[in-house]
Amino acid sequence: MLIVNQISKHFGSFQALDKVSFEMKKGDIVGLLGKNGAGKTTLMRILTSFIAPSSGSVIIGGDDINKHSLSIRQKIGYLPEKPPLYGDMTVQYYLKFAAEIKGVPKNKILFQLAKVLEECDLKQVKQKTIATLSKGFKQRVGIAQAIIHEPKLLILDEPTSGLDPIQIQQVLALIKNQRDQRTVLLSTHSLTEIEQVAQRVLMIKSGQIVLDDLLDVLLKNKDTTHVPPLTLEQVFINYHQSQATVKEDTHNDNSGVE
Amino acid sequence: MNKIFALTKKELYGLFSSPIAYIILIVMLSLFNVFFFLIIDQNAEVSLRDVFQLMEFMLVFFIPLLTMRLFSEEKANGTMEFLLTAPLTHTMIVLGKYFSLLIFYTLLIGLTGIYYFIVEYYGEPDSLSMLSGYLGIWLEGAFFIAVGLLASSWTSNQIIAAMVSYLILFSLYFATSFTQYVNGWAEHFLIQLSTHTHLENFAIGIITPSDVVYYLSGIVLCLVLTRLSIDNRLWH
Repeated sequence: MLIVNQISKHFGSFQALDKVSFEMKKGDIVGLLGKNGAGKTTLMRILTSFIAPSSGSVIIGGDDINKHSLSIRQKIGYLPEKPPLYGDMTVQYYLKFAAEIKGVPKNKILFQLAKVLEECDLKQVKQKTIATLSKGFKQRVGIAQAIIHEPKLLILDEPTSGLDPIQIQQVLALIKNQRDQRTVLLSTHSLTEIEQVAQRVLMIKSGQIVLDDLLDVLLKNKDTTHVPPLTLEQVFINYHQSQATVKEDTHNDNSGVE
Repeated sequence: MNKIFALTKKELYGLFSSPIAYIILIVMLSLFNVFFFLIIDQNAEVSLRDVFQLMEFMLVFFIPLLTMRLFSEEKANGTMEFLLTAPLTHTMIVLGKYFSLLIFYTLLIGLTGIYYFIVEYYGEPDSLSMLSGYLGIWLEGAFFIAVGLLASSWTSNQIIAAMVSYLILFSLYFATSFTQYVNGWAEHFLIQLSTHTHLENFAIGIITPSDVVYYLSGIVLCLVLTRLSIDNRLWH
């Protein structure tokens, strides 16, 4: 479904990503972990064609991002960290607009609209202006726009940021439900959330993938120097403490890109 | 084409769901009406030539107020990322936004069409020169909108977008004022650069290919530069 091959990204002299490679299969829910400035958002922006990689290739559903950017974007649903919403629109109008620009056939727009309103539990607010909604509803509208065109790959950048515990559970349940229909790449700071929804974890540090493993394997801890059972939080902290280098400090000083 | 239409509809929705569209329509039409009656009363001639020239001057002030939000607002709200990661070409985004304001502007100019009928009713004007004047003022507004769209693509700050538009439009409008300081080809260049020169011909009923090409090439140039600005993310 997704093949990321040796992608690097430079912003001037700053290297945001350094030869990142990984693959995702259909139906995978992968958690992308990393500190602020590690390169998560840059990676997601490359996968969604928002920015181009300096080198390397990305293949999504058989199409190369450098050659078929438009058809790649048709296959992707993306929720940026700040949901891209028009406050003056009603939920229904906004989702209809999203469906139109994402190429949903005219005769299927109403069907898709009804489907995402149901799936994201937005029916009761469909006539409301987006600006008047709570943060939890806004986040669900953001997810609804990302899935309205039935993308094969769903990319979510910190979808639970700023939500209360109940709203977080609602959003996580929504993400879990996507498993049967699409592949999901989920970036979050919350390790508990990754444990709840993901099967696999990618950890990115200073622009490099430092860990790529199944969640079950990580938590069982193959490394016998640690006493099991480990939590994902411990795994995360161990990685960052054991590999703290002068290079990383320099990297973080320049981390304005994310 | 459907996607361009969807973008145009969305822009018009945004325009009419805020007070700015209504305020600009009311203020511009009120000013146009006042000056129309003053000019007709003072000139005592059945022509809209001076009305068109006054409208041109007012467009320099009003169009940047309409165009400043086109891209700047999207960038400031984070919705530019939404458009650029949707399966849309950059040309579609530029055209969708451009057409929305062109429709709004056509509505505004259409509402001044009553002047034509008033003058027709009370005198025997040269109808063709009035119609060519309308074509000229429409082309000029279409050009100004393209300039405003370009300025808006350069920044995420609406005030800066408006200021840059003013700078370009005033330079184009007053270009002939600088002819006294130069001569030869530079003088000719400034005269040809001025929007005032080209509208004057339309206002007196003369439609020349060079005037039409001036406006159309100006529009195309600005739209192409806007697309390049989006391609290169110049606002970062």
